[in-house]
This record gives sequence, structure tokens and C-alpha cells, in this order.
Amino acid sequence: MVVETESAEGAGGALSGMDDAEVIRRSRSDPGAFAALFDRHAPALHRYVTRRLGDSLADDIVAETFLAAFRRREHYDPGRADARPWLYGMAANLIGHHRRREVRSYLALARTGIDEVAEGYTDRVEARVSASAVHRELAEALAALSADDREVLLLIAWAQLSYEEVATALDIPLGTVRSRLHRARKRTRAALGGVDPTAITDEEADRG
Amino acid sequence: MDDLNLLQGLRADAPEPDAARLTALRDRLTSATTATVSPPERRRLWRPLARRALLAGTLAAGLAVALTFAGPAHESRPTPPAPSMRPGSLLLLEQAATAVEDKTSSTPRPDQWVYTKSKVVQPGDGRVTTQESWFRYDGKQRADFLDGELKVSDVPPDPDDDDLSPQKYHDRLTALPTEPDKLLAKVSRDRHWSDLPKEDPGAGEPADDRAYRVLSVYLEQQAVMPPKLEAAIFRAMARIPGVKIVVDVPDAEDRLGIGVYYEPKGQQVTTEYLVLDPATYHLLGRRTIWNRDEWITLPGKAPEPAFEAGSFWASAELRSGIVDKPGQIP
Repeated sequence: MVVETESAEGAGGALSGMDDAEVIRRSRSDPGAFAALFDRHAPALHRYVTRRLGDSLADDIVAETFLAAFRRREHYDPGRADARPWLYGMAANLIGHHRRREVRSYLALARTGIDEVAEGYTDRVEARVSASAVHRELAEALAALSADDREVLLLIAWAQLSYEEVATALDIPLGTVRSRLHRARKRTRAALGGVDPTAITDEEADRG
Repeated sequence: MDDLNLLQGLRADAPEPDAARLTALRDRLTSATTATVSPPERRRLWRPLARRALLAGTLAAGLAVALTFAGPAHESRPTPPAPSMRPGSLLLLEQAATAVEDKTSSTPRPDQWVYTKSKVVQPGDGRVTTQESWFRYDGKQRADFLDGELKVSDVPPDPDDDDLSPQKYHDRLTALPTEPDKLLAKVSRDRHWSDLPKEDPGAGEPADDRAYRVLSVYLEQQAVMPPKLEAAIFRAMARIPGVKIVVDVPDAEDRLGIGVYYEPKGQQVTTEYLVLDPATYHLLGRRTIWNRDEWITLPGKAPEPAFEAGSFWASAELRSGIVDKPGQIP
């Protein structure tokens, strides 16, 4: 079955010129084509999950995300050329089940300077050295955020989604994205002791 | 530097997975998604993951969502709840223990095969799948019917796979204490799963939840079950607060049995029963009943009904035993 998948892509790279929406549509009649979506997005998604929860959960969460996506492919909005918001939204659900573990790792980093998440993917000495005072303060702030605010902040800072993409991913209005981000950044800046507070204005947040 | 830039520096060294890991993950996906695979086969390929998720508990909710996508479950018709189920006594578990503890058991040779024929009824559409499989005792090969033909396939060694071979299960079960309190203490802290960190084996799971879950997984390993341990499992279950009994619970084959379930905090959306034969106390199968409608909400979508109250999922082990060659039936 893997062979078929490869032939689908190997046929002159038939899928390579398609956007995500076209690949997903194709996968309705040719399920093997769905692997192309995996090839495009799994590496970055895996890295993002690793960054949130650590190395040991990343495989299962990425696998579950793509399985869920595959089963939802009939419902994909064909008007969206980029599937990242859709995929990261489903991943956010799965990541959310590990909230306590995530918060605990930020707290541990803040209090001890030891980042158990980083220790999972790098050698221990390096991880300890890298925990600067700034990182410890950031971790403290991340631990204190509400889950909703943290989700928005990290989709923007770590997954590099735009405001609109975060709104799509989490199925919330754009204004809510802005207000959550505003709140999250205010707390983060407070934890950092007021580093460059001009980066975001209240006006920007009030638009929501 | 503003706060977002600083934040982007946190754990910025998190790597992308290497090629081997991506390939393994991709294979998991293509195994599950390729249409040429027959439904039972597809489910089997995903079983290690499903099993691990079930065991790990932490992913179980996510898996439930994923499974929800699987079929036209939202078209489900109300299914009348099993009619005659009624409360039973925990003493039935002591009776079960007494009945099984003096059974004799024999150990298969590594090259013998564990045969199982099982049946599963899906919730909603009531789709029925019957599957025969042979799993070599040492776990090196398995055999299934694919398109009417018996296919023997090698099972590559996978040290991280929690779905143990019959032999490994036998070794594990044999090593467990057969004194109920000791068994309970052991499984409350059991680190069965290779993918949970040593320092946090439970991910916050309450000890009683874990004990019940682990014992019910062990109870499924009937082919390799030492009788004294089976008795201890029944007695240990009876000691877990929240374990309850009903009688006349049908398995997927509509055989009525003793339903054991765990409900420490009142009725949830679903109740999951282990169904025991009322005469031999052999595990007949499982049944999950939806007590209320279950809805799922996905990002970007309105909530959708997934399973209606009264829906059920059921399994039944129709036949099992040890044989010398794949294709043989005990």
C-alpha cells in the first residue's frame, strides 16, 4: 500500500503542483494522495508539538492529528489553499489533553532552570546551560496564562500562524485572537520586567 | 527585542524529526488510509497505537475523537438499551475467582499459535465485523485472512510496542503477585507503558482508575492467563471503589453475561462493560453503551452529534485456543 502512495507522487510529481485543498480533494478518491499532505506539514507540526510537550508525545499526537484530518477530509473547506490552520487546530485539541504536563514543564523551568522538554531532545548539559534568566521568566509567564491565551500566543510565536490563521484554527473570531494575544503579551512583558512594551498597542487589541 | 522575539527563542532548538522517524510515522498514516486495505486489516494495523493510547489514558480522549470520524455514526438510529440488565452483587467476582483459581493451564511452545475469532458491532450503523487471526506465541508472526486467503506476515521487533506477544504477556502475568491486595498495589503503580516518562508514570491518573484499566487489559489475555492470577484479578477488582456489577449484559453475539464496570463518579456519557460468562466466568467480550448523546466539536465546525443515547459498541470472542499451524482451528 505504501508503494501505491509513492506511485501517486512519483507520477511526474503530479501532486507537487497542487495546493493543500487540491491534494485533500484528490485524496477523497485516492487516499494515498493524503500522504503528500503529511510530507508537507508533518515535520513542522512535529517540531511544534515537541516544543510544547516534549519529544515523547510528539509521534502519537502527530499521527492522531493526521488520522483525524484524514477522516475529516470530506469536510475540508476547498477555499482554503493552506491546510496548516486546519491541522494545527486539530493538534491544539490533542495538545490540550496534556495541559497539566505542559504547565508543569514551564513551572519546572521557571523554578529550577531545568527544561525537561528540552532535555528530551538535546543533551542534558546543553539544556541546563541554555535556560537563561529570560527564558525562566518567559516560562513563568507561560505557566500563568490561561490555556486559551497560551494557545493563541504559541500558535503565533512558535507555529508562525497569522492572526487570521489562528482564528481559523481555533474557530474563534479575529477580535478574540487579538484580545487573547494582547492579554498574553501583556503578562509576558510584565514577567520580563517591561522589555519593549511598545511592541503592541492597546488600540490593536481593542479592535476585537 | 520584543517579547514575541524573546519567546521565539525559547526552545528554539527543538528539532524536526529525522527521516527514519518521519518514515515510520508516514507508514502509520498510509497503513490506515490506503483504501486497498480491508477494514479489519486496517484496524489491526492501527491497533498498536490504539492500544497504547488506551493504555496511556492520556491520549484516550484524543483517540475517541479520532474514532468518531470513522463512519457515518451521526446517522445512527436510536438503539434500544439492552433490556434486562439489572444490578448484581460484587460477590459474583468472588464466585468467579473461586471458579477459576483451580483450573489447569498449559504453556504453549514458542512456535505454536494463538487463534482468536472475534466479532465487533459498531455503534450507529450496527456494522458487524468478524475476524479470525493467528498470532504466533513468540510474537514473530501473525496470520489473517485477506480477501479469502490466509496471509502470514512477519511482525518486526518493536521494543516500544506495548502490544505484547502472547509469550511476553504470559511472562508478565506470571510475574504478578496472586495475592489480591499485593496485585492491586502493583497495578496501581504499574509502568506498563514504554512511552511514559519514568518520573511520571501516571500523568496524573488516579490510582484506582489505573488499577481497573490495567486489570481489565490483563483480563483480555485469556489465552495465556495463569488461573491463580485470574482469580486474583477478580478479587482485586472487587476491592476497587467504584467497580460495579450488572447481570444479563449481552456481548456482540447476544450472549448474556455478568457486566463488570467502573463508575467511581456517577454515570458518564458511556458505560463500558466487561462481559463475563455467567457459568465459566471466561471473558466473553465487551460492551459500551452511550447513556447520553455524545457531540463532538472541532475547530472551524459546529458541534455535531457523534453517538446517540442508546448506541452501543460490542465485541465478542467467538472462539480461541492454541494450535500448531496458522489456518488451524482449535
